[in-house]
Amino acid sequence: MSDAKPDRVYCPVCLAKFRFAEGWKEGSVVICPICGQRLVLRKSADGWVGDRVDKGTEKEIRDRIEEFAKLRGYVFNEVKEDIVEGLVGKQKRFGDFYCPCRMEHVPEYQCPCKPTRGGDVERTGKCHCGLFWKK
Amino acid sequence: MVNLAEKIMVYALSTCPYCKRTKRFLDEHKVPYSHKDVDTLPDDEQDKVLEEIEKLTGKRAFPVVIIGTETIVGHDEARLKKALRL
Repeated sequence: MSDAKPDRVYCPVCLAKFRFAEGWKEGSVVICPICGQRLVLRKSADGWVGDRVDKGTEKEIRDRIEEFAKLRGYVFNEVKEDIVEGLVGKQKRFGDFYCPCRMEHVPEYQCPCKPTRGGDVERTGKCHCGLFWKK
Repeated sequence: MVNLAEKIMVYALSTCPYCKRTKRFLDEHKVPYSHKDVDTLPDDEQDKVLEEIEKLTGKRAFPVVIIGTETIVGHDEARLKKALRL
């Protein structure tokens, strides 16, 4: 039996690595289990990397938030469309889908933001801007 | 309604849906106000405004509505109505 460590995939949205699953190969489209981003697998010199599908488009952020909600069992409410509009506005003005209710345009506030990925919704019932809600 | 001369200031983020709701609420009630979208201000002005907001509210949360001596953080229609005597 091999004691080699399993391969991991780097997600450029949440800046974290997740486990490479059986059956995946170069070009496979997978969902990051941490942030819900759709990624195309690529082998780089530093290991497996996921490239963002539909990068920078409204489709990308809509797919990401839907997948994240599905992964965690969260729901949306009537504010969703306003927040998506805000996220698209952030992308246009500040270069990526940062939380529309925060001033800081840093990777940890890329939606879903780090506190949300870390369980804020479980603790407080919703994320900072009220996009994701506990069922 | 409060005296129109009374200064009402809204500090907002250009992308924040709750800030938009607050502005819409004031517009719908024909309340005159000044506003600043803090995230689109030039750096120097942004620093000054953020400092002022933090001094007033103790945090960086938006929208901030200043009505006379009252400061309302977040979109809160009940508090806005009360403060504006609508």
